[in-house]
Amino acid sequence: MVRKIARGVLTVASSLATCCVLLVLLGLLTWLGTLEQTRTGLFEVQRKYFESFILFHDFGRFSIPLPGANLVMCLLAVNLAVGGFVRIRKSWATAGVIVTHVGIAMLLMSALVKHNWSSDGHVTLYEGQSADHFESYFRWELAVIEQLDGGRVREHLVPHERIEEAQRIPVSLNAADIPFTVQIESVSKNCRPERAQSTSAHGPVVIDGVKLVPREVDARAEANIAGACVSIFDEQTGTRRRALLWGAEAQPFTFVAAGKAWAVSLRKERYAMPFAIQLARFNKTEHPGTNMPRSFESEVQVASGSSSRDVKISMNEPLRDGGLVLYQASWGPSNARPGDRLFSTFAVVRNPADQWPLAACLVIAAGLLFHFVRKLTRYVKLEMRAA
Amino acid sequence: MSTILRRLCAVAIALIATATIHASPLQHEHREQPWTPEILESFGSLPIQDGGRIKPLSTYAGFTLLRVSGKRSVVSASGEKLDPVAWLLDVVFFPEAAIDTPTFLVTDSDAIVAIGLSTDGKRKRDRWTYAELQPGMPRLFALAHEYESIEPKLRSSQQQQIVDLASNVFSFMRLARFLDFARGGDTKDGGALALIPPANTDPSVTDWATPGDLIARVGPKQGLAEADSAVISGFITLVEKRTDPGAFAAALASLRDRLVARATARGEYEHIQLERAYYAFDPIQWSLAAFIAAFLTVAVSWLRPKSRFLWLSNVTLTSIATVLLAIAITLRCIIRGRPPVSTLYETVLFVTATGVLIAVFIEWVQRSRVAIGTAAALGMIGLFVANGYETLDKQDTMPSLVAVLDTNFWLATHVTAITIGYSAGMLAAGLASFYLIGKLFGWKRNDPAARRSLARTVYGVLCFAVIFSTVGTILGGIWANESWGRFWGWDPKENGALLIVISQLVILHARRGGFLRDHGTCAAAAFGGTIVAFSWWGVNLLGVGLHSYGFTSGIHTSLWTYYGVQWSIVALGGIAWLRERAAAKKVPAATVELAQQCEKKMRAAA
Repeated sequence: MVRKIARGVLTVASSLATCCVLLVLLGLLTWLGTLEQTRTGLFEVQRKYFESFILFHDFGRFSIPLPGANLVMCLLAVNLAVGGFVRIRKSWATAGVIVTHVGIAMLLMSALVKHNWSSDGHVTLYEGQSADHFESYFRWELAVIEQLDGGRVREHLVPHERIEEAQRIPVSLNAADIPFTVQIESVSKNCRPERAQSTSAHGPVVIDGVKLVPREVDARAEANIAGACVSIFDEQTGTRRRALLWGAEAQPFTFVAAGKAWAVSLRKERYAMPFAIQLARFNKTEHPGTNMPRSFESEVQVASGSSSRDVKISMNEPLRDGGLVLYQASWGPSNARPGDRLFSTFAVVRNPADQWPLAACLVIAAGLLFHFVRKLTRYVKLEMRAA
Repeated sequence: MSTILRRLCAVAIALIATATIHASPLQHEHREQPWTPEILESFGSLPIQDGGRIKPLSTYAGFTLLRVSGKRSVVSASGEKLDPVAWLLDVVFFPEAAIDTPTFLVTDSDAIVAIGLSTDGKRKRDRWTYAELQPGMPRLFALAHEYESIEPKLRSSQQQQIVDLASNVFSFMRLARFLDFARGGDTKDGGALALIPPANTDPSVTDWATPGDLIARVGPKQGLAEADSAVISGFITLVEKRTDPGAFAAALASLRDRLVARATARGEYEHIQLERAYYAFDPIQWSLAAFIAAFLTVAVSWLRPKSRFLWLSNVTLTSIATVLLAIAITLRCIIRGRPPVSTLYETVLFVTATGVLIAVFIEWVQRSRVAIGTAAALGMIGLFVANGYETLDKQDTMPSLVAVLDTNFWLATHVTAITIGYSAGMLAAGLASFYLIGKLFGWKRNDPAARRSLARTVYGVLCFAVIFSTVGTILGGIWANESWGRFWGWDPKENGALLIVISQLVILHARRGGFLRDHGTCAAAAFGGTIVAFSWWGVNLLGVGLHSYGFTSGIHTSLWTYYGVQWSIVALGGIAWLRERAAAKKVPAATVELAQQCEKKMRAAA
């Protein structure tokens, strides 16, 4: 009985009918998600249609439940694995098809790896500046910075997920080597500071004549500026300090505890790079006599350890080093006049599956070509013989 | 020498006087005879820097006239038909006459009413002269200024017309005043035509100059370089000799030689003659003519399906058309030094060419006469679309590309692959449509093998399409990963490509699973044509996303017509299918009856 049911499930999971239904669903979602972009932002559409397991699409007055693309693709992966390699008949006639399916599986794998194990962000440098880390576009972290001897610092971090948690319940940071407790009392995803007199019963907290006024969360995640109210409790002295932290502030909140200088800052998550990068020059050229950009190019120095090398990063020519890829993303200031100091922004991606799609593409192309050429030559021979 | 000095003084005085003299009084001299071929040749082959590239002045004139008047020729007030170069000569050298040439296309006279002019004696869609529009100009520019702040997507068609008309009038004014400095007038408006290459060969100096730019460089301490002053005096001589064709031609030839020598020294004259030849020979129009002729023979061959002569002439004409189209595409590649497809216009040429080539190959294998007929139809429609798009877009079809697109590697791989995918998808749709319509009208009613063969061809073309669509789409992701650091971003153009791949995969898997047979495969392939069209044109009309290179307004109607036609064909195919099924049910009944009669007779005989 169990075997019978298992066989039935396997048959359905691997069937061509299931494959067709799932592909049609994926096509439908792609189409709806494309049209939806004329009304809502890309970020929102991605979340709703492509990264979801279930969604409700509004057809005029009706709201119809649909499986999300994430779910459909997971099922397709199962269908592909069972139907496309395990149960498919193995012969020269299906060799090309099997190879193609392997390529598609590789592509799905690289998507999975990218989705779960990659990080991305950016680093912006003025000419002459250098950096050894990049920062996220929209993930926040709370950094408690300890001033050590000789100008060095040590950082204790509260990651993005815990900050999000603080939207619901206060979150504390209490490490053995910190002589106080930091508690995030409240967090706002998007807010702006404003002057205020005193805290009202239901309004935001006012500290030192400033309050953080929540704003509507922007669909473009990178446009939101987070803010937090934190309290710092020094158990030894029994003092409690409260502070408002705002993501776009230039200076952190500073204080002295246990005879050392400390700072607390709400900032975009930072990721260390295995090298330091210095922008020597940013060049942009336009097509002559027009404002149309012809090329953007950053001349940078990449230093790791004692060695350093000169590299050019331009549109379509990223820098790949130490598991990171740096792309020419943007530049400014946009109103710069000739001779002004420019900055260049690099998008930075750490993606273990960076080059997998290329391999997958070659495998798929090989499989499809093999299958097609084999069938075509047989067909042409047949037709020629008939004629 | 003294004459040059005197002229330069005049220029300098004019410079100073700019602040007070707005425009020189126009001298009312008219051109006595048509421009000679020699003058047209010299003027048209002048190199000009425009839109970031060096091109022949004839190309510039062609697209400018297309923009202003909606076609590449105008008829002057005296009834003379002017080609773009002759028109530009008139505007630049005889502006006082050119203002009476009906040049400005107004597609809806409401725009004229809006600027306060009377439309008496004019049609709703008509060409207006500069002189006729002049009284309404203050209002025209005021309105255009107001409407320009509205996002193009949100403008009404009348607002868009006003903006376009103002822009065309402004271009015309700049051209008409291009040589004002030589007439002793304003020197500031010498900015329309960058005809003067830098005198040196330094590649870091990329901008070409207008006479106005050169004159602007004259300061109290710095005069014009001798070479530059010779160029300026060349322009002045042209204005002086404009009523004397012989002297004008000689002066123009000498100025042309001077400018061409400079451009040649910089290596920037290389492809000018080739581009001149491309537009003079116009292989695309000849190709279109051959496709039309081929299609007519196809039409005739429906009446005489067995005629070998008609088949041969169809094959010959289609082959000639294909070769001409291939020549056109090759010439464009050489002129721009780029792979065959880098703009929306070029996708049309390339899709047409590859689609026709595949069809010719199928015909070579099958000799069924269906593929070659579809090739002729596809070629004809494709080139009509190309022409229509060029007229609608009104921009140089060999433009400079923005930084991210300016990469021959990815244009050659991703763009070419995806375009071949479009092409095969469209061809499959074409053949499938023939199958469905043919079935409705009883094509090969008694030859199921021929029908099967056509359906198998559709399947084969789809297999070919899926290779290029899939590989092309993934290559697109890899390109995006190389330039932006993300493989896939659900951008509309990416989604469009994915939709093509998915639709073709569905057909292939459904056929494999037996859910679609011959008829179903063809119906799905015919529907698939609209998915290709959506991805190719439709998503550009959505106005969102990173791939906004194909800005196309006014394509809605054609696109929806195509959708409508294909969906109707699928529906008609459905009717044919139902009819066939009904007929198939009848056959057994008849057979049973026959068998019963036989049995009776046999019994009776016994």
